[in-house]
Amino acid sequence: MSDILNKLSVRSPWLFRINAGSCNGCDVELATTACIPRYDVERFGCRYCGSPRHADIVLITGPLTARVKDKVLKVWDEIPNPKVTVAVGICPISGGVFREGYSIVGPIDRYIPVDVNVPGCPPRPQAILEGVVLAKQIWMKKLGLVEG
Amino acid sequence: MLDTILAILHMLIFPGGIFALAVALLFKGLDRRIAARVQRRVGPPLIQPVLDIAKLLTKETLIPKTAHRTAFIMAPVLGFTGMAVCAAFIPVSGVFDGLTNMGDLLVLFYLLPIPAIALMLGAAASSSTFGSVGFSREMLMMLAYEVPLLAVMLAVAMLVGKSTGAGAEFSLANIIAFQESNGQLGFNPVMIPAMVAYLIFLPGTLGVVPFDIPEAETEVLEGPLLEYGGPLLALYHVGSALKTFVVLGLGVALFFPGTLCDFAPVNLVWFVVKCFLLMLVAVTVVRASTGRFRIDQAFWFYVKFPTVLSLISLVLVWWM
Repeated sequence: MSDILNKLSVRSPWLFRINAGSCNGCDVELATTACIPRYDVERFGCRYCGSPRHADIVLITGPLTARVKDKVLKVWDEIPNPKVTVAVGICPISGGVFREGYSIVGPIDRYIPVDVNVPGCPPRPQAILEGVVLAKQIWMKKLGLVEG
Repeated sequence: MLDTILAILHMLIFPGGIFALAVALLFKGLDRRIAARVQRRVGPPLIQPVLDIAKLLTKETLIPKTAHRTAFIMAPVLGFTGMAVCAAFIPVSGVFDGLTNMGDLLVLFYLLPIPAIALMLGAAASSSTFGSVGFSREMLMMLAYEVPLLAVMLAVAMLVGKSTGAGAEFSLANIIAFQESNGQLGFNPVMIPAMVAYLIFLPGTLGVVPFDIPEAETEVLEGPLLEYGGPLLALYHVGSALKTFVVLGLGVALFFPGTLCDFAPVNLVWFVVKCFLLMLVAVTVVRASTGRFRIDQAFWFYVKFPTVLSLISLVLVWWM
């Protein structure tokens, strides 16, 4: 029974966006990915949700500034398991243009395990969609549905 | 005794329970799909609401430390059971008269706000700031849309009551019987304002886009639902899907009942189709093509338009 539920569950990934001090470029890309007809993310069963408690896949943008670090970690902790973390844009991966800045404490995988990296400044919508699909596969691995 | 068992069966299988749930989830899927098509998107598969609920059942439930545990857990249960009971009162013309000996239009009027009250209870119990903002907004919305609902119900009851000589007729079975001999109320010139008011009432009570202010995810992070997750959230979603079925079924019973032939399954399908058309007009297209009101705009919108429209019908019925 729980196996069937798990198999069904991966077809309904709800997305949650965390802005860890991003310049808003990637956030605009994320909004575009959901909203404009060509890249409609809802066809994978995804839905942007407003509350971290509803989320399955977390999309983190931004280089993780010193000021926002504790809040990001707190919000990330609020997300119920099993969860998959996707770093969107080059900033959470390496710091991007903000690397070595005085206010940057990232990269983000120092603090939380990142499952998928989607590099780009900002990444193309197709890349973000591919990241979400990859995150879905990792979610399946976490549930033990596929070998890997 | 037999009556009670029969009523319970009606609540569990048809028209409440399993039947209502299946129709409600199908409607929710259709709603999302059609809204996507209106916005020229592909949209999710039709069984997406079922998948969402299956997903939520597998997630862990987190209960905030500062929350009132019992109220927090019982609130979604209350909302769900309220609507599950409500669904059994919905008459399907030609198939089932509704639980006529247990309740009528007035019982439905008292049962309909239960999900909103449950939402407010959950919001208050969750001890979240966003929850309390959602609480106050939900309360204001409820005050705004309950008045036109009552006026619409009174208009229908008085119109039917006048002809039967009862003064006001609150029995749904009699209202449907009246319409079978005198024509559907939705096409009666006196009742058209009330019908329009009911159509405007639908998106408000269902909390969909122009009126989803209490659960606005961009402003108050889904407000009352913020702290919910896992199976409890699934219960909320099932409850709101059932509410869709109830208010659409009530709309069909009040304004567009009627049968196609004497064969029950055909009438059943006809009922579902009518509910669907009502949802398409009043919910899906509106939802897909508008933005969100502010709470004060929504409140005054409800005071100005549906309330006045339903009162026009009420006065016309009383006067004629």
